[in-house]
Amino acid sequence: MQRFLDPDVLTSTSDLQLIARTIVDGFVAGLHRSPDFGFSQEFAEYRAYSPGDDLRHVDWNVFARTERTYLKRYRGETNTLLTVLLDASQSMEYASHAISKMDYARYIAASLFYLAIHGQRDAAGLIVFDDEVRNYIRPSTRQGQLARLMSGLEQAEPRARTDFSKPMHHFQEFLKRRGLVVIVSDFFESPEQLVRTIEPLRFHGNEVVLFQVLDPQEIAPTFRDAAVLVDLETRQQMEVTPDYARQEYRAKMDAHIADLRARTRGAGLDYFLLPTDRPLDAALREYLTIRHKKN
Amino acid sequence: MGLFAPWFLAAAAAVGIPIYLHLLRRRTTTPRPFSSLMFFEPRTQSSIRHRRLRYLLLLSLRMALLVLLALAFANPFIRRPAARTPSGSLLLLVIDDSFSMRAGTRMSDAKREAMAVLSSRRSSAPVQIMALDAQLHQLTPRTRDSATLRAAIDSVQAGDSRSSFAELARAVRLVSDEAHASVELHFVSDMQRSSMSATFAEMAFPATVTLVLHPVATAATPNWTVESVTAPGQLWGPAKDARPAHVQAVVAGYATPAAARTASLIVNGKTIASKEVRLAPDGRATVEFPSLDVPYGVSRCEVRIDSADAFPNDDGYLFAVRRSDPQNVLFVHAVSDARSLRYFGDALRSAAESAYVLQSASVEQMPALSFSKYGFIVLSNLFGLPASLEAGLLANVKSGGSVLIALGTSASRGRVPIFDQTIRGVHDYARGSPRGREPFVSVGDTDRSHASVGRTGSLSGVKFFYAVDVDPGDAHVVARLTDGTPLLLDKKVGEGRVMLLTSGLENLTNDFPLHPAFVAFVEQTARYLSGAERPASARIVDSSFDLRTAREPEGAQRLGVEVVDPDGHRPLSLTEAATAQALRLTRAGFYQIRLANGREDIVGVNPDRRESNLDVLPQDVQALWRGSPTPVESTAVLAAGNAPPESEPVSVWWYIMLIALVAALSESWLASRYLGTRREDT
Repeated sequence: MQRFLDPDVLTSTSDLQLIARTIVDGFVAGLHRSPDFGFSQEFAEYRAYSPGDDLRHVDWNVFARTERTYLKRYRGETNTLLTVLLDASQSMEYASHAISKMDYARYIAASLFYLAIHGQRDAAGLIVFDDEVRNYIRPSTRQGQLARLMSGLEQAEPRARTDFSKPMHHFQEFLKRRGLVVIVSDFFESPEQLVRTIEPLRFHGNEVVLFQVLDPQEIAPTFRDAAVLVDLETRQQMEVTPDYARQEYRAKMDAHIADLRARTRGAGLDYFLLPTDRPLDAALREYLTIRHKKN
Repeated sequence: MGLFAPWFLAAAAAVGIPIYLHLLRRRTTTPRPFSSLMFFEPRTQSSIRHRRLRYLLLLSLRMALLVLLALAFANPFIRRPAARTPSGSLLLLVIDDSFSMRAGTRMSDAKREAMAVLSSRRSSAPVQIMALDAQLHQLTPRTRDSATLRAAIDSVQAGDSRSSFAELARAVRLVSDEAHASVELHFVSDMQRSSMSATFAEMAFPATVTLVLHPVATAATPNWTVESVTAPGQLWGPAKDARPAHVQAVVAGYATPAAARTASLIVNGKTIASKEVRLAPDGRATVEFPSLDVPYGVSRCEVRIDSADAFPNDDGYLFAVRRSDPQNVLFVHAVSDARSLRYFGDALRSAAESAYVLQSASVEQMPALSFSKYGFIVLSNLFGLPASLEAGLLANVKSGGSVLIALGTSASRGRVPIFDQTIRGVHDYARGSPRGREPFVSVGDTDRSHASVGRTGSLSGVKFFYAVDVDPGDAHVVARLTDGTPLLLDKKVGEGRVMLLTSGLENLTNDFPLHPAFVAFVEQTARYLSGAERPASARIVDSSFDLRTAREPEGAQRLGVEVVDPDGHRPLSLTEAATAQALRLTRAGFYQIRLANGREDIVGVNPDRRESNLDVLPQDVQALWRGSPTPVESTAVLAAGNAPPESEPVSVWWYIMLIALVAALSESWLASRYLGTRREDT
């Protein structure tokens, strides 16, 4: 089973839903735990009401006694709305081996959708963006939502360049309900600028998770010889030497990842680095394990 | 450095091809897509410099490869000193050990020069040492052992022979053919001009031989010598009864000023006469000693001058003179024939210097005579010999005696006694010749190699009026008349010999006795038949001495000869003494020889007097012989003792090709790396 979870193997399958089911089932089978893991109706906490909260969750008994408005929260209610923001910029098209970053991101998103809709029966939506919002599928639990999401993923082709600042105000409009926001991107941007752009999503009560999808060659490039590199987004050309790629670039990339991880956590955002050569079930297991511990 | 085929350098223009490929068609690198360059810094300058540097290296390699290939085809060469013999060749060191090398310090100088050549050689080259006189003698095999080579040089001594540069060239050609390699010939010699051959072509060497001359003499040295001596080799009878024998010597000077020299005649170590002789510059003078008085037996004689020059070895001229009793000759003739005795006796006395005592006898007196005490017997105009007398004569001949038969007019038919051949008829040319024809015939074919007529001169003027036609059978026809009639026949009978003259010894059947050739004929025939052929009293070194004469019986071939050379050594082994037909006289001095017929003799041997002329080959002739157009400073070479300044071209194309191969491999490796980069990029 593990063999089918290898990203390179998964690329041979064009059915995205089948891929997602394979990943999730494999991952669940590996857990040896209940499929309802992390999504029970167990009481979790009381939280003060804030404008926009669903009035149905207000504990009126407490309000009657104390005249204060509290929301009674259950564990299963924390992530009831899953929205995946998928970066479809040209940089996501890069691939040094069989699977590109875009494919890997599709598989991750498909797996999350499958897990949310089939396992949790939660609403799930998709926003595909680059420097603008290219596609938006409203979160829903309606029949056929999973198929629509899968179709949206398949239609998401890399174009243009990444710019979080421009589509961010559109995100604000789309994410009126609090939920889990998963941003899948390579995040080739300044961590400071990035966190500053994404952080407002957190203020609306959303739980924001950043999946940084990187190719192994982007993390640790190995050039045998000097090469002329072309930026997939800007089309800028640059000659680089192997020594620079081996030493300075790698240091900069490590610093970028570390900086991004530190800033996202500082801002209350979850951050996961997903190299495209890593098995998808392992990536999901890590993600869910961490979330389970947090909840 | 030079080029054997410089026109191939034009191919070096092909270096433009890689320049065109590298510069005008500089390869464009296929860009390599990457997701983001935000973490890259433009290191274009260093990167391009690195690439250009390596491209320039590749360009340089390709250009070097083309240039090297063009250079290799142009076949470059470098000049290397000829003394540095390439491995695989032979260094042939020839030292002149001829007679002239005895002059002054020439031989010691030659050894020193040879040692210097040996020291300057490369240890890898094999060396062979030879000595040159009339022949080329091998002193060592081809070896690299310095001790052997130096010992061989030390052992070289000047001999008595005459050197011959033509012989050197001939022998070295053989050595070169056998060696199948180039030969570097170092010739250490006094470069005597007289050693040159008549034609320069005989001295030429093949192309595989490089001649390096090491002259040990640079200019002619004044030298006086006794050039020749004329003296009788044999004296007969007591001195008081014989005609006085005189000795004539020629004294010569080479590169000498006018001077007076004293010439002395020495007999058996005792000076018996001295005379002063005046010589002009570079001149010759004859000195004559009127009386040569030698005792019975063989005397060792010498004419010597007081030269007081640097070459005393040629101041004397050796010769030997034998004095012995005259031999008896029996002349038997018909009573009516007195003319033949007169003519034959006069001729014998006038020519043979009292060597023979002629006795005449009639047929009736013959039975009382002992034939064995006569050197030979002449039967003139006798045909009908008594049987007992014929048997006695035949027995004498078979035991080694000799008979001369002159038929005259006595014979007409039947068989010739002793000679034992039939008479086919008689030719009376005076009476029987047709009208209009000469009443005589002349001598036609003559075998000049025969001892009896070898030095008689032409016999064509002799008129023969009468001759008997004898069937020659197995006899050797020495002379024939113009009509083919045998005139003189020689036949071996037993151990002896019979000669037959089909005409007469008087002036009736021919006019031969009236011709001067008759005296020579009688003398030579007498010597031939009596076995008194004595070789000349003096010989030249390297001449040949016959150890077995023609008259020697066949059985004597198995008899040994005995030779003692001037040093007291016996140069012949036992096998050679039993079989050798001749002896090569290699040393100057007196040889004692006992011939196969038992006779003992002494021969004075002198070096070839051309060796006494110490004139040296001019420098331009030496340069011509070497094959070099420019004369070489031989004296500088001699003084330095180093390798001669000649140089030879050595092709280096093989090394160029090796470098080109290395360049090609490097280019392939470097180019494959670039191509690998391009594949990775794409």
